[in-house]
Amino acid sequence: MAITLSILEQGLIYAVLALGVYITYKILDFPDLTVDSSFPLGAAVSAILITKGLNAYLCLIVSFLAGAAAGLTTGIIHVKFKVRDLLSGIITMTMLYSINLHIAGKANLPIFNSENIFSISPLKDYLGGFNTLFIIFLVVLAAKLVLDWYLKTKSGYLLRAVGDNPTLVTSLSKDNGTVKIIGLVIANALVSLSGAVMCQQQRFFEISMGTGAIVIGLASVIIGINLFKTASFLKPTTAVILGSVVYKACVAIAISFGLSATDMKLITGALFLAVLILGNLGKGKKSNA
Amino acid sequence: MKKFMALAIAFALSLSFVGCGDSSANESAGSTDQINNEASEQEHSDNDEKLKISIAQFAEHGSLDNCREGFIDGLKEEGFEEGKNIEIEYQNAQADMGAANQIAQNFVNDKADLICAIATPMAQACYNAADGTDIPVIYTAVTDPVAAELSNENKLSEKNATGTSDKLPVEQQLKMIRAFMPEAKKIGILYSTSEVNSETAIEQYKEKAGEYGFEIVESGVNQSADIPMAAADIASKVDCITNLTDNTIVSNLAVVLDAAEKASIPVFGSEIEQVKNGCVAAAGLDYIELGKLTGKMAASVLKNEKKANEIEYEVISQSNVYINSQALDKFNLSVPDDMKESVIEAE
Repeated sequence: MAITLSILEQGLIYAVLALGVYITYKILDFPDLTVDSSFPLGAAVSAILITKGLNAYLCLIVSFLAGAAAGLTTGIIHVKFKVRDLLSGIITMTMLYSINLHIAGKANLPIFNSENIFSISPLKDYLGGFNTLFIIFLVVLAAKLVLDWYLKTKSGYLLRAVGDNPTLVTSLSKDNGTVKIIGLVIANALVSLSGAVMCQQQRFFEISMGTGAIVIGLASVIIGINLFKTASFLKPTTAVILGSVVYKACVAIAISFGLSATDMKLITGALFLAVLILGNLGKGKKSNA
Repeated sequence: MKKFMALAIAFALSLSFVGCGDSSANESAGSTDQINNEASEQEHSDNDEKLKISIAQFAEHGSLDNCREGFIDGLKEEGFEEGKNIEIEYQNAQADMGAANQIAQNFVNDKADLICAIATPMAQACYNAADGTDIPVIYTAVTDPVAAELSNENKLSEKNATGTSDKLPVEQQLKMIRAFMPEAKKIGILYSTSEVNSETAIEQYKEKAGEYGFEIVESGVNQSADIPMAAADIASKVDCITNLTDNTIVSNLAVVLDAAEKASIPVFGSEIEQVKNGCVAAAGLDYIELGKLTGKMAASVLKNEKKANEIEYEVISQSNVYINSQALDKFNLSVPDDMKESVIEAE
C-alpha cells in the first residue's frame, strides 16, 4: 500500500509539470528547456516565502506567477528577438539558475520546521495518511480542469492551431507570436507550480532538483499520449496525468528491484524510446491499412 | 500492438501491486550489496530475525564511501553483523535528487528497521520520508545539521533522527597551512554555488583567517566546465589553494592541481583522499572514524538503549594531518619539525 501511495504522490506532483510540458511539446511543438529551471524556480519561491511566514497556499500562487514570468521571458526572447526556440529556452534556463540561487539565498533551503500546504490542511485529521495525496490530487485536478477549460476558449483554440497549422492563425489575422508566448507562460506557470508542490512535499529546496525535469515531463507526456491514445474517452490532459503516474511507477519498481541509480537514465532512455517506437509502429499500420 | 500495450501496462501495474503486497517483496527488492546478492534468494523466514538496515548514499565519492564502510564497521563492533543478525541494503542516488527521494521512500515503504543516510540532501530526503513512521534515521556527513533543519540548536532532533556532522576542522587547517608556509598571505578557495555546505565552510574560513594572518580569496563556479578558468584565475592571485569538501571541485581535483602547478603554488586538501590524489597536505577528518561513530550511534538505537531523538548529533573533533611527500617536494615544502611525529603519509 505504502509504495502505491508514494507512487501516486510523486506521479501526481510531476503530472502538473507534465501538463505544462504537454502544452509546449505537444500543442505548440516547442522544445522548451526552460522547464529545468522553472521547476526549481517554483520550489525556491515557495521555500523562501514559507520561511518568511507567508501562507503556504499563497506561496503556490506566487510560485505559479513566477513560473509565468519565466515562460514570458522565453517567449519574448523567441518571438520578439527571433532567437531559435531551443536556444531561447536554454538561455532562460541558464539565467534562472543564478536567479534561483538568489531567490533561495543558498543552494539548499530546508523548510522542515515550517508549515506547508499539507500540514495546514483543514482535512488533515480526517484523512490521516491520505492527506498528502488528497491535497496533491486537488492541485492536479484544479490544474487539469482549468487547462481543459482554457483549451476550449477562443484563445485556447488558437493555441492549438499554432502548433498544427500556423497559417490558419495568420489567416485569422491573429499574431502567431502572441499565442506562442501565452502558451509558454501557461506551461511554465504549471511547471513552477509543480516545483512548489514538490518542495513543500519533500520539505526542502535543492538547486539540483530541476536537473532532468524536462526528461520526466517529456517521458510522462509521451507515455501518457501513446499508452492511452486508444482510450478515446480520455482527454489528452488526463492521459498525460496517467502517463506521469505510470512513469513514476516504472521508476519506483525499478529501484525497488535493486536497479542502481547508475543505470536509471539508461533505462529511462530505453523506456522512452520503446514507447516512441511502439507508438510509431501503431501509426504506420493505421496509415497502411 | 494495442494488445501488446495493454499487456505491458497490465504487467507494470501488477508489479506495482506485488510491490505493495507484503514485506516479502522486500526480499526481492534485494540488497545491491554485491557480496550478498545470493542473500535475496534466502527464504524470508530469515527476515523475521534479522534487522533490516538500509543505507542511502547521495553520491559516489571517496569520503562518502568511507563513511559507509565505517558505519558498517561500527555496527559490527557493537555486535551487529551483516548476514548474522542484520541485513544491509545499500542504494546510491548518484547525485540525482529525484532518485534520492525515491530511494528514501522505498526504504520507508520496505519498513526498514533503521535508515542510515549519507550526505545532506539524502539525510533530508530520508528525514522527510520517515516522518510519521517509527523508523529511526541516522545521518552522517552532514556538515551543519542545524542549518539543514535536521536538528535543533540543542543538537537533538524533533523527529526520530540523529547522526554525525563532518564539519571541516577549519582552524586546524589554517594552523597547518601557516606551519607549512610561514610567508603566505592569501589562500584561494574554489567552491560550487550549488553546494550549501561550501558556503558555510567559506564563512568559517573568513571568520578565522585573520587570526592566522591570512586573507581568503574565493571563487564560485556553477558547473564543472567553469573550473579550468576559475582555477587558473585564482591560482594567479594567491599563495596557495585550499579545498573544501565541495563535491564538484573534488571531482575535478586534477584540473585544480594542474592550474595550481602552472602557477607553482601548492593545493591543500580537506581530507585524505585528496592528498592521495596530489594535494600537498590536509588537516582532515577520518571519514572511516566518522562512519564508525555513526554506526555505534545506530547500534545503541537498535539495542533500544536510547531513541534517536534522545541522542545529540556529534561532531568529530580530532583531525589528522595527512601529507603527500612527493607533492611537498615539488613545491619545496617540508614538514615543520614539531609536526614530524604526528603527520601521516597518505598513500
